[in-house]
Amino acid sequence: MSYFNSIISSVGISLIGIMSMYIITGMTGMFSLGQASFMAVGAYVAGILAVNLKLPFALCLVAAVVVGALVGFLVGLPTTRLRKDYIALVTLAFGEAIIAILNNLTAFGGAMGLSGIPKRTTPALVIISVVLIAGMVWQLKKSRFGRQCMALKDDPLAAKSMGIDVDRIKLMSFTLASGVTAYAGALYAFNTTYLDPTAFTWNVSAEWIIILVFGGINSLTGALTSGVLLGLLPELLRAASEWRIIIYCVIVLLIINFRPQGLFGNYELNLRTLGRDVKRLFTKRKNINEVKK
Amino acid sequence: MNIQIIVNAIALGGVYATIAVGYALIFNILKFSNFSHGGVLVATAYMGYFVATKLHTNFIVTLLITALLGGILAMIIEVVAFRRLRKRRANTMLYFVSSMIISILLTNLITVFFSTSYYSYPVFFEKSSFQIGGITLITADWLQLLISVVALFILQFILKKTRLGIAIRALSTDSETTSLMGANVTVIIAATFFVSGALGGVSGMFLGMNYTLYPQLGSTMITKGFVSSIIGGLGNITGAVLGAFILAAVEVALTNIDFIGSSLTPIFTFMLMIIFLLVRPQGIAGSTAKEKV
Repeated sequence: MSYFNSIISSVGISLIGIMSMYIITGMTGMFSLGQASFMAVGAYVAGILAVNLKLPFALCLVAAVVVGALVGFLVGLPTTRLRKDYIALVTLAFGEAIIAILNNLTAFGGAMGLSGIPKRTTPALVIISVVLIAGMVWQLKKSRFGRQCMALKDDPLAAKSMGIDVDRIKLMSFTLASGVTAYAGALYAFNTTYLDPTAFTWNVSAEWIIILVFGGINSLTGALTSGVLLGLLPELLRAASEWRIIIYCVIVLLIINFRPQGLFGNYELNLRTLGRDVKRLFTKRKNINEVKK
Repeated sequence: MNIQIIVNAIALGGVYATIAVGYALIFNILKFSNFSHGGVLVATAYMGYFVATKLHTNFIVTLLITALLGGILAMIIEVVAFRRLRKRRANTMLYFVSSMIISILLTNLITVFFSTSYYSYPVFFEKSSFQIGGITLITADWLQLLISVVALFILQFILKKTRLGIAIRALSTDSETTSLMGANVTVIIAATFFVSGALGGVSGMFLGMNYTLYPQLGSTMITKGFVSSIIGGLGNITGAVLGAFILAAVEVALTNIDFIGSSLTPIFTFMLMIIFLLVRPQGIAGSTAKEKV
């Protein structure tokens, strides 16, 4: 049962990371390869506060989110106004810098890692967090802000001419996503009870982007579905543990080549679309029957 | 002593320049950050090792074979990861994701097959160093510099004087018009990948000689190429070379300052990048590829 619980926690935490990536990439069309380093910031802030200052759990979470968003704002300020490739590369370099800083913070474990964090993250808390954040992102996507994001993602020039402050919206989206990622990091810290800098390399960020593309970059429900699928896949393939990442890469490569819009494309799974699809399925059946008659 | 440091910096700059140019070439024509170049680097580093130990070839022959293998590998990557995308006129984002997957795939294939044992290149030279006017020069270092310079000159010659080079440069401006002018775009892109891969092979073998071989070597070293390119101006080949030498000089200088040491260099590289982006976002060369709307 504890094995099952740990899978729920780890998949849930990466789902939160994927949703933060959805805000940046899916909604606003930027790429961050340093998103895992905001997770590191959140994890270390929460971990250090819990271990060294013995602060209560809830306060650690709040502090992690605030610091994460602040760091996101500072990194985003010079970078988000640049073209997409620069954002990806600068955030990549930022990730390397964060890992180097953490490795040299000998007071907080350095390369040896930070240990002794109490285990407070429960599967229930993770599930509730995922649901709440998914609800928040869903509302965000439908809000004025979300529509502005999607407008500038498709065509920044046209968005600007419609009076959208492109730089400001991009920076806001980046800051918000950093806060969400930092929250995932804090949950991670209280889940594994041990932190070391190598857990937050750019490969983690790359994996989130890959999962997002797999599910369909425009679809939040697609991202969540593929997050669960690809999160569980390594567990199912545990027998072939050495090969699992390779198999995973090949599957995603096939998806990109043969279904570039991802599993879901622009489709969002919710009650309304579900109802519509069921109805459509039903009417189609009826039509077929009529033809047979 | 001080001259020694300068010589080291120039030699390192040569290796970084070959990495950066191999990356910049692909950016130049397809306008995306080619992460798979990191995979080429590490794969060729291992290939070079096996060529040298199994075939007992000397330095130059090993280098030529490795460059050839690197070129072929890059062409295979182009067919597997990018050709279908280009035929479908897919979003640049998908190229980006596809190249990341190739990089992760190659890294993990190497981990599965070769990470269990320790490899280091055989000694190619009888005299590992020699003296000129009181300065000790390490044979491998200056040979690498010499070969990097020769390779870059050959590249410049190809780009400026041959039909292929003119076609590549035309393609980097506008692929549609190039195609209308009767150039076979598919062949030109394949050839560019070959050239980029061959440069990757040269740099991969140098990396293998300078560092011990490990699967993550490529993804660590490709960031040097990115940073050089950003300093020099994305997609600009002369700029990438300049950026590589600046980066190498900064790194060597920092490593030789006692209280900083090499473990903190990523932080300074990040700061260097941010300063460049704030002061001169178009890079030294100043002609960045405009983002296609």
